[in-house]
Amino acid sequence: MDFDPSANRVVGTARIPGGAAPKKAPVPVKIIVAGGFGVGKTTTVGAISEISPLTTEAEMTSESVGIDNPGQATMKTGTTVAMDFGVLTIDQTLKLYIFGTPGQTRFAFMWDDLVKGALGALVVVDTNRIDDCYPAVDYFERAGLPFVVGINTFNGQMSYTVEEVRWALAVREDIPVISFDARFRSSVRDALLVVLDQALDKAIRMKS
Amino acid sequence: MTYPDPDDPVAPARPGVRPFLQSGPQQSTGGYTPTGEQPPVGASTNTLRPFVITAGRTDGGDPDIGMETQVTLVPGAPASRLTPETRAIVAICEESPISVAEISARLRLHLGVTRILVGDLRASGQLDVHVLENDTPDPETIMRVIRGLRSIS
Repeated sequence: MDFDPSANRVVGTARIPGGAAPKKAPVPVKIIVAGGFGVGKTTTVGAISEISPLTTEAEMTSESVGIDNPGQATMKTGTTVAMDFGVLTIDQTLKLYIFGTPGQTRFAFMWDDLVKGALGALVVVDTNRIDDCYPAVDYFERAGLPFVVGINTFNGQMSYTVEEVRWALAVREDIPVISFDARFRSSVRDALLVVLDQALDKAIRMKS
Repeated sequence: MTYPDPDDPVAPARPGVRPFLQSGPQQSTGGYTPTGEQPPVGASTNTLRPFVITAGRTDGGDPDIGMETQVTLVPGAPASRLTPETRAIVAICEESPISVAEISARLRLHLGVTRILVGDLRASGQLDVHVLENDTPDPETIMRVIRGLRSIS
């Protein structure tokens, strides 16, 4: 891939030294990337973002319920949750934000904020730990947010087929279950386009 | 200029407005709002628990201020005395429009704290917060995102 994530993709804007008058604010839209710990959310965000993913920390004030199952390389404290996000400038008046969010039930109250105004969500699934994505699927079903289940194939290998994952998740017929590789920009782009198709369907339904 | 010295790590808050800004690190923040007068503690800012910066407010501030909400500087806003955190937010907004989430990430401020402080700066006329008129995305905007995504390789 010849994409340089550090390159400034906005062309044709003259930078006024000293920043005299701020440019007109673009319209922000957002897509949520959800899933359990270590399923490749940050990889997904990083693959499509034009900047290196940024991390913001949200302070949790509610009590922790349930047990973390963080896998090998993750350490999460009980009171703070880190959220990775990236940006893609569509044009000078439109910016796409991609938020990667932990898929734990106990963070659900934070999701209410997160999904407000969101176009849709990509639920990332690791076929070795399918259970991890149940809270996210449950939440988006209840919230009525358009979503797509994306099986991260990591090394091109899947322990289960797409049909088997669909059966295990028992999602509605109209919810797409797809496979993608979080490491590749084009693959993530295609997965997000499926999410946007769902979002467009819903937006058109709501309008009519 | 009436700005405090930028090199002063603990510039005093404007008295009478947010008097609890520099209260002590041992203070509980679980939804508790102090009511009594508390003397400032000379501890450095990073020992403070995050919501001490917001005078104990943890409610996330204005619900209209989302993570992706764009923030810009109000041109020619009246100079006012700012805390180190709010001064940093104003400075970061000088460059170009920026989202609340980016402010939070780049200043390493907790998201909830950032939202509250951005709300404060909006109320005091320092920042413009560009709240969208409709919550639900319209088909035209989604089409533009689809076209934009398709055009990348």
